[in-house]
Formats: sequence, C-alpha cells, structure tokens
Amino acid sequence: MHNGRKLWSIFGPVLLAFVLIVVLFSLPIKNKHSTAMEKQAAVSLSPVVFKNQSIKQQALSNQQTKFVPFFGSSELRRMDKYHPSVMAARYHNYTPFLFGSRGTQSLPQFFNINSMENQLTDQKAVYIISPQWFTKQGVKTPAFKFYNGTFADLTWLQKANPRSPYDRYTARRLLALRGTDGTIGAAARKIAAGHALSGWDRLVINTRVGMLKHEDALFSEFQINENYQKHILPNIDKLPKKYNYDRLYKEAEATGERDTTNNRFRVKNSFYTKKIKPHEKRLAGSQRSLNYTQSPEYGDLQVVLNQFKNTNTNVLFVIPPVNAKWEQFTGLDMQMYYRSVEKIKFQLHEQGFDNVLDLSHDGDKTSFMEDTIHIGWAGWVKFDRVSNSFITSKQPTPHYRLSDRFLTQQWANLNPTPTNLQRFKEELK
Amino acid sequence: MVNWISSLPNFSAYGTPVYFIYLILALLPLGIGLYFGKRFSWYEALVSFVFIFLMFDGSSWQQGISLIVYVIYETLLVMFYSRYRRQQNSAGVFYLLAGLSILPLVIVKLSPAMVGHNSLLGFLGISYLTFRAVGTIIETRDGMIKEISPWKFIRFILFMPTITSGPIDRYRRFEKDYRQVPARGDYLNLVSKGIFYLFLGFLYKFVIGYFFGQRFYPFFEQLAMTNHSLFSWSMLGVMYTYGFYLFFDFAGYSLFAVAISYFMGVQTPMNFKQPFKSKNIKEFWNRWHISLSFWFRDYIFMRFVFMATKKRWFKNRNALSSTAYMLNMVLMGFWHGITWYYILYGFLHGFALVANDWWMRFKRKHLPNLPHNKLTTGIAIFVTFNFVMFTFLIFSGFLDTFFFS
Repeated sequence: MHNGRKLWSIFGPVLLAFVLIVVLFSLPIKNKHSTAMEKQAAVSLSPVVFKNQSIKQQALSNQQTKFVPFFGSSELRRMDKYHPSVMAARYHNYTPFLFGSRGTQSLPQFFNINSMENQLTDQKAVYIISPQWFTKQGVKTPAFKFYNGTFADLTWLQKANPRSPYDRYTARRLLALRGTDGTIGAAARKIAAGHALSGWDRLVINTRVGMLKHEDALFSEFQINENYQKHILPNIDKLPKKYNYDRLYKEAEATGERDTTNNRFRVKNSFYTKKIKPHEKRLAGSQRSLNYTQSPEYGDLQVVLNQFKNTNTNVLFVIPPVNAKWEQFTGLDMQMYYRSVEKIKFQLHEQGFDNVLDLSHDGDKTSFMEDTIHIGWAGWVKFDRVSNSFITSKQPTPHYRLSDRFLTQQWANLNPTPTNLQRFKEELK
Repeated sequence: MVNWISSLPNFSAYGTPVYFIYLILALLPLGIGLYFGKRFSWYEALVSFVFIFLMFDGSSWQQGISLIVYVIYETLLVMFYSRYRRQQNSAGVFYLLAGLSILPLVIVKLSPAMVGHNSLLGFLGISYLTFRAVGTIIETRDGMIKEISPWKFIRFILFMPTITSGPIDRYRRFEKDYRQVPARGDYLNLVSKGIFYLFLGFLYKFVIGYFFGQRFYPFFEQLAMTNHSLFSWSMLGVMYTYGFYLFFDFAGYSLFAVAISYFMGVQTPMNFKQPFKSKNIKEFWNRWHISLSFWFRDYIFMRFVFMATKKRWFKNRNALSSTAYMLNMVLMGFWHGITWYYILYGFLHGFALVANDWWMRFKRKHLPNLPHNKLTTGIAIFVTFNFVMFTFLIFSGFLDTFFFS
C-alpha cells in the first residue's frame, strides 16, 4: 500500500471517531425527561441523580408537578407508607424531590445545591440535619468522593470568588477531601489561596462544563433505580383517603408496634435480626466516646446556609432524634447530643434561619424511630405535618444575616455550653 | 520554588482520556520525525521531561525529589560498575553493586512494616526503575553491555511511557530500538498497531476496568463486609470482580505504555497475553505480567538454578526446581510489599508451580492414557482460572480488612 493511503487507513478512523465525539458532545441536544422519569428520579436517592444536573434542574423547574427539594441523608431511604413521598402523593399538591443517602452531609449537599441555583431562587426547601454528621472528622473522604463529581466541582469553580471567605473555605475543604490533582485541584488551589483564575483556566473550565452538560443530557437517564415502583407507588393506596392527622398518627404507632416485636430497642424486626443481633455484645457501650459538638461539619453547614442566603431560599430545617433505648444501650452521652443540637440551632437562629423543626426530644416516643437513628412511621407522620404546612402555607420573607465567623476553627471547636454560646454571640455583634 | 512546584497541576500517567490528547499532541513532532527517518532526541527528552515533571509536581513534589536523587544514585552505580567491569570481574563486587542498587527499594518496601509509615525515599514506580537498573548491572556482568553512558542509561530507565508501572524493558533491547530508526513501512506498522493497542487499552481500563473497579467491586465489597461470613456468595463476588478489575486495569495501562512506546519508535514488550485461558499455572506466568515474570525467571530463577547446579547443592533435580520456584515466587510476593497477604500470594504461586511440575510427572508416569480433548482442556483452564482468582482475592488485601478492621 502507498504510504499516504496507509496513513489514512491508520489515522482516518481515529480522526473520524474524534470528530464524531466532538459533534455528539457539542450538538445542542435538549433531552427532555418525561414526568414519569422525574418522579422516578425524585425518589431514587441515587448518586447519579445527585451528581448529574439535567434531571433535577428540569424537575425543579417544572411548574405542574411542583417538586420541592428535600435534602437529607440515610433517613430518606426509610420508605414505609408514611414516608413524605408517599404522604405527598396521597394528600398534598407537591412532590418531594429527595436528595441524599448515607454520607451526603453538608459539603456534598452544598455542591448539589450549588448546581441548581436557578431552580432554588426564591423557592422553598426542606433540609434535614443529622447530629451524627458532626463527628470529629466530619464527612468521610470516601463518602465525599462517592457523591462528588467533576461536573458539580467545575460548575462551582465557574463562579467561585477568591475574595469570598465562603468560597475559599469550600476550596480548602474540596482540596482536603477530593485531592489536589488535575484541573479542579489546580483551580481550587488558586481560589483557596485567594487568587483569581486566569482567562485560560476559565476557558478550560467552561469548555469542560459545556461537554459535561451534553454528556449529562445524553446519559443521565441511565441507572435510575425502581424505588418509585417498588416502595412509593404500591404504598399510596394503603393510606386512608382522607387526611386525618390523629388517625394517621395512631395507625402509624400501631404499625410500628407490630413491626418491632423481637427486640428491646423497638427497632424494626428485620433491622434487628440483620444489623444488630449478630454483634449485639460488641455494640454495648460502643458510642460512649462519640462527640458531636466539635466538628468541621459546622463550617460545612455554614457554606450551605450561605448558599441558601444567596438564592434567597426559604428552608425548613429538621433535626431528627435518635432512638433513646438504643443510645442508652450504646452509651451515647445524651447531654453531649443535646448540646450539639443547641449548637446547630444557635448557628441557624443567629443568622435568621428560624424555621426549625427540632425532633431531638422525640426519640423515646412509640414507633417514632424505625431503627437506631432513622425516623419512621409516627416520626414521618409528624415530620410530614410540619413540612406540609411549611410548604403549602405562605411564609414571611426570610431575612438572613450571615457571619463568616461560623466558618472559623473557633466555632467548629467551640464547646457549646450556654456561657460559651453567649460569649460567642456577643463577639458576633 | 517548592511552593511554585507544589502549586502546579499534577497529571498521573494515563489517568484520564484527556491526558492522551495532550500526550499525543506533544509526541506528534517526534512521530513526524520518525516518519521521515529522523529521531529528534532533544525534543523527545524535552517532552519526556515535561510529562514526567507533571507526574511528580504538585502535591507529589517530594516524590519528584526522591526520583531525582534515586536516578543520580543508580546512574553512579551503573557507571562505576561498567567501568570496573571492563578491567575486572569479581563476583564480590558484582553482588555488592547489585545489592546497593536494590537497597533503596528494599528500604522503601521495608519501611511501612518496620517504622509504620512510607519511606521518604519512595516514589511511584521505584520498583520498575530498580528492575531496569539491576537488570542493566546483571547484563553488564554477563558482558552483554560493552559500553554505556550516563545519558543512555538515564534515557533507558526514565523512558517516559513505561516509567511508573512498566512493562520492564531490558537495556540492550531498548538501546537497539533506540539507535535504529525504523524504516518508514515498519514505523507505520508500529503506529497502526499502537493505535489498536491504545483503543483496546481505552476499552480495558476506562470502560471494563471502570465497571469492575468502581461499580461491581464496591457493591460486593460492601455486601461481603456486612455479611461477616468468610464463605459467602458475596465473597465470591469480591474475588471475581477484583480479579477482573486487576486484569483490565493493569492490562489497559500496559497497553497504553506499549502503544505510546510504539509511537516513539520503541518496541516495548507486551505485558499480557490473554492470561485467563492458561491451561496451567506455568503457562499463566507466561501470559500474566510477562515482563515481570520473565525478569524474575531470567535473573532469579535461572541464576539460582545455574548456581545450584554448579555448586551441586541438590542431588535431586526436582528438589532443585521446586526450591527455585518457591524462592522465585516468594521473593516476588515480598517485592509486592511486606504484608501477610502479598507473601502468602507469592507462596501459593510458588507452591502451585511445584504442584504443577509434580502433576506433569505423575501424568506422564501413571496416566499415559489420559485423553487430551476439549473436556480435559476445559477442566484445566477452569482449575487454573479459579486458582488464580483465589490468589488475587488474597492479593487484594480485602481479607486483611475483613479480618482485622
């Protein structure tokens, strides 16, 4: 074969493949997701939905279905028939769009929330804060990496401002948890050091965001699970036709009691058999040394609050309880637990986030907890009543006043005794 | 300076698909040169420097320093020995120099077990550089390398496509490729093969390897961890998904290294040859991580056999080969790292090679009528494959986490 022709036979297909890829990723593909797909994504709790953008953005912009974002973590997976998604399908005129699984603490949520700024502007949202997030280490590196994606990081970097203490903080945390490699690492290092990104940096970031957008539109419908068909749909008809809080609550209590018969902690039977029974001995006293009062998670929460302020989102914060019998068995220091709740509430109230549903004292109520730290049955019924009234009734415009003092080590490590909180409050002024 | 270097972006070799765009663009002038029969050595050195720099800058800058110190040290050893060898040839000096050249690797491998943290001397790829350096000293001792210059040696051990994870080339072979610019037709054949390997590598590492490593393996890992039973279906899942992940990830990486070498006009040897269709464990080691197993075969196994035969350490030939197998594989286990699971992995493979030899002899003597057909071949492949997968489960270190954390 002639060499010229040979060159073509070698490189022709490669060039063609390359051109096709560029064309595929830069065509103005607008993949419209069906309402059924949106509903399925809203309860999938999958990292794919969490990290991608096109489905959630489209769903939250959809005026007809009226999706309301619920941010949380593993409790959202407790899909019994009183779960907010089932309750809303039966009784309310909105649909919760759930974001969260085990490990989606404030920082992963921040990147998630940041990637739907337009959809959240002047809207309402529900945000569940678990005191269990506030460990010494905060969000664990593997969990962060699992829920963090290039798309969200680059989207954030497009607007990151090196002069904002919030963005510098986020950049530092991103570097510590994600690593320092690649374009994202280099750009985050600049932001963390307070340096602006160069024109070239922006070009690289914008080009990659453009490609990722198309990739997202093309592939985001894959790998969405069947939670909706399995756990939501079949449960809707099991609820009584007419909403009656007291009746529902009693019924939920009874259901819970029926399902928690094989153990003294009153956790769901199957949970007990699978997760506790095999290592019950080892678990006694196992939580004695936990401390939720000092954690980088407080700073991470602060960047989420700042994000809500920026988009003027009105948020109901929910602090879920822990199972009192279980905590007694594992030796969790309840005084410490309540102090951490106070610290979280202090951080919220001081900055004008006044819609707080504090359930932390409900951990010993009948059928309130499905297992050790997750609400279920009666807990969901109470949760739903408050979130529904927050979402469906008109709320006064929130007035947020943020202080970046909540980003400091001093706050993260503050022991929240009443005196310490009082002193911190005075310093804020 | 250090601040500046540590603030630069870091790009590990073949880490992302985009990396290849940068790399191939940078290599394009070199390829054009080779097409016209010229090797732009200075340009090649520059590109290599930039890409090696990008692997060891940013947060890995300390490794970069270690790499520089290490290369200077090994170059001095090789040059000294090469000069010495031209006049004299004492075994003592050879062992001393070979020992000295392995010393940094030994320190790096021993550190985690002895002092509890990684040695500062370490950097990504130190073992592969050490294999090349020691190999060069051995070839010099054998009189196969007559003359070598610091520049040529550095060019060889720092050959950019293979720097961090092989394949492990030999100095003489490499140097021959490097000196001779391939004829145009040959070069085009190389490039054509290289493109094929590159895309096969994409399929292996970024598609199949990704699914096994990032999707299937974590799924089974989590199941097995909550299961608490050593013998479970999920443990079996961990075993197979890890084994396949290991192969596709590493074979993909090796294909990249070979492909990029081809573009640079150097025929770096292949590392994998469909290992899972091996009919016995010996064949497996001729197909799996070939450049490493051949290195061990030539420089550990054969040397030991020669020496033991010469000095008449063994009366029985089978005892000799069994000892050599065990030594070879247990040493390879130690090379992977000083942990119980790497050492056990090496031990099991040594044992399997011994057992395989025994079976061959037994078959010849007692089962001369054993048919050789599709069924027996299938059984042989099945047994070999599952044994290998089982040793990979040990190799993965999963059991260590499973038992001890």
